[in-house]
Amino acid sequence: MDLALLWTIQLSGLAAFLLIQLLPRSAKKIAPAIGIALSFLAAAASAKLLLDHANGFGLPVQFSHPWLAVSDRAVWPNIPVERYALFVGFLLDPLNLTMITLVTSISFFVQLFSFYYMNEDRSRARYFGFLSFFSFSMTGLVLSNNLLQTFLFWELVGLTSYLLIGFWYEKESAATAARKAFVVNRLADLGFYLGIILVLILFGSLNFTDLKSQALAQVLPPATLTLVGVLVFLGVMGKSAQFPFHVWLPDAMEGPTPVSALIHSATMVAAGVFLLHRAFDLFSASATTLLVILSVGCLTALTGAALATIQRDMKRILAYSTVSQLGLMTMAVGAGSSTAGFFHLSTHAYFKSLLFLTSGVFIHRFHTNDIWEIGQKGGKNDRLAIGFLAFGLLSLSGLPPLAGFFSKDLILEAIKEKNLFFYSGALFVSFLTAYYSFRMFLVIARGRIRREERPHAESRALKISRNVPLLCLATLSLVAAFLGMPSFHFNFEMLLTTAAILVSGGGLAILRFRDPEAAEQKLLAGKTFMQKILERKFFIDDAYEFLVKKVGLAIAHALNRFDRTVINGLMVNETSFSVMRLGRLAALLQNGALQDYLAWAMTGGVLILFAFLHFYRGTP
Amino acid sequence: MSQSLQSYLVISSALFAIGVFGLLGRRNLVAVLISLELILNSASLNFLAFNKFSLPDKSLGQVFVIFIIALAAAEVCVALSLILLLYRKKDSINVEDAKELRG
Repeated sequence: MDLALLWTIQLSGLAAFLLIQLLPRSAKKIAPAIGIALSFLAAAASAKLLLDHANGFGLPVQFSHPWLAVSDRAVWPNIPVERYALFVGFLLDPLNLTMITLVTSISFFVQLFSFYYMNEDRSRARYFGFLSFFSFSMTGLVLSNNLLQTFLFWELVGLTSYLLIGFWYEKESAATAARKAFVVNRLADLGFYLGIILVLILFGSLNFTDLKSQALAQVLPPATLTLVGVLVFLGVMGKSAQFPFHVWLPDAMEGPTPVSALIHSATMVAAGVFLLHRAFDLFSASATTLLVILSVGCLTALTGAALATIQRDMKRILAYSTVSQLGLMTMAVGAGSSTAGFFHLSTHAYFKSLLFLTSGVFIHRFHTNDIWEIGQKGGKNDRLAIGFLAFGLLSLSGLPPLAGFFSKDLILEAIKEKNLFFYSGALFVSFLTAYYSFRMFLVIARGRIRREERPHAESRALKISRNVPLLCLATLSLVAAFLGMPSFHFNFEMLLTTAAILVSGGGLAILRFRDPEAAEQKLLAGKTFMQKILERKFFIDDAYEFLVKKVGLAIAHALNRFDRTVINGLMVNETSFSVMRLGRLAALLQNGALQDYLAWAMTGGVLILFAFLHFYRGTP
Repeated sequence: MSQSLQSYLVISSALFAIGVFGLLGRRNLVAVLISLELILNSASLNFLAFNKFSLPDKSLGQVFVIFIIALAAAEVCVALSLILLLYRKKDSINVEDAKELRG
């Protein structure tokens, strides 16, 4: 029963993708229906799975199948294990049961919302195909029972996100953003791949059930453990947009908004944090790795939150907020409490996808991403959207008893136990989060409520596909918070701290933006030094540009010259030229003069004769 | 000089050397042909000399020599006709004028 459900979840995305691809051109209209129906099937199957195993009953279950057996003493004579067996299979435990429910439900809602959002797009079929393939890759990643299988789906997730970010590939900026996301991820995945190879060679098994910190510590020396952990973490840094690989995530906003919702909540960036939790023993085996994770997370959280405070683009604010929240999750893992990180991932997934879908409503209606413009054009008029926006933003900034509150508190608590320095960093991040959330809301909700004619009457189906996902996601984000309640214990000091931070961050925003018109005037009048730095994104993109354009190009030019002169000139051309010169020299012999030929022939004959006489004299 | 094998061989090698010299040195094709005849004759002389001094059967070498003479006659036929053709084409029988096969 379990296996059938797992196969259903795993394959429905792929089936939807294939069906949509195989549709004849005339029938492309039903592509959204296929995508939505099959993603609903997956969501229903995972809900059934969740109900079957409520409270972790009968878990974990593993379905494993040997795939490749390698034994090669000739290559590695000193390996500790006799044979390497690579497995494929499903592993189902409470962790990925939660995750799979999250992934399938959010991708269902996103598909439903896409029906509204992409209603007028010409290549809708392609869009829904890719979206289905995206959830297929992500479910594969979540359900797999070993690192290698995870890696394969990990790469598929990367590929699909490339396709979706660059969905409007006619737009130069979208194509560039997709390329950037792809290249940055490849760079980081190199580390992941090397880590997997190291684990396979040195430890001999990639199965998550075997990767326990004690077993690892028995086989591997601490330095190697650190190396492996950091290498695998490098892959996580790419996927989960950790500093300094976070640059691709804000640019990924070039894709359609529902895709951003999916990337930012359930699929792409969630993969990294999920892996952190899944292979936690691999990291926790070395304290150094955990420290690296903690500091990278802290840096990411601070960078993301700081950059979110000045952005004008609605989606970019949300993107940087995702970066900083991912930083918080990573910090939680680094502080040794991967459960808190994962809990925050699941609550964050719901309210962040809600926020993105809400921003999709605004963007679809006002045809602009700029929060000041949306505010001016009457963002307040859309009562439902502004309500969801407020709900999402309050969850994000951690107002009790909304979703973000519980998970963020858990994280803060975990970090506080570990290290006070990082704790203050996390508190500052929460402060900034409250600040930019309030700023965004205040700017969008400015202006009077005006009567305006509706841009176009929307059909009932469109309304449903617009509102139902928003409602369900809002509900689910509350539910997810209360499901995680058991691990939460009431801490008055903590409550006081977060409340103080929320009030101060929100208060500062209200102070500065209570009159958005005046704030905008001030913004246009001049920028402070800090604002300039923030607008240049801490010069990180500039640094990358310098690295690629100056250093990279210089190396490329040097290699080019080397190739031209040494490889091509000296080795290839020079060989052929010298053969040609030899040929010319030999051609001098063939001068057409009959008697010269004769003379040469005779000389040769005489020489042979002499040689013959000389060497064979005496032998009969 | 007594009639020994050496004296025959000396004459024969002298003939050969003169032939080779003519073959390589002369520019006139007819002269080259004549030099070739000299080389053939020196070979015939060798056959006769060795036949006379070292073989019981006195006729074998002479048979060879007759063959050589016949061959030489045929060869001269062919060569002279080639030279004639060359003359018609080039108005010269100088060996240096026929260098079309230069590489």
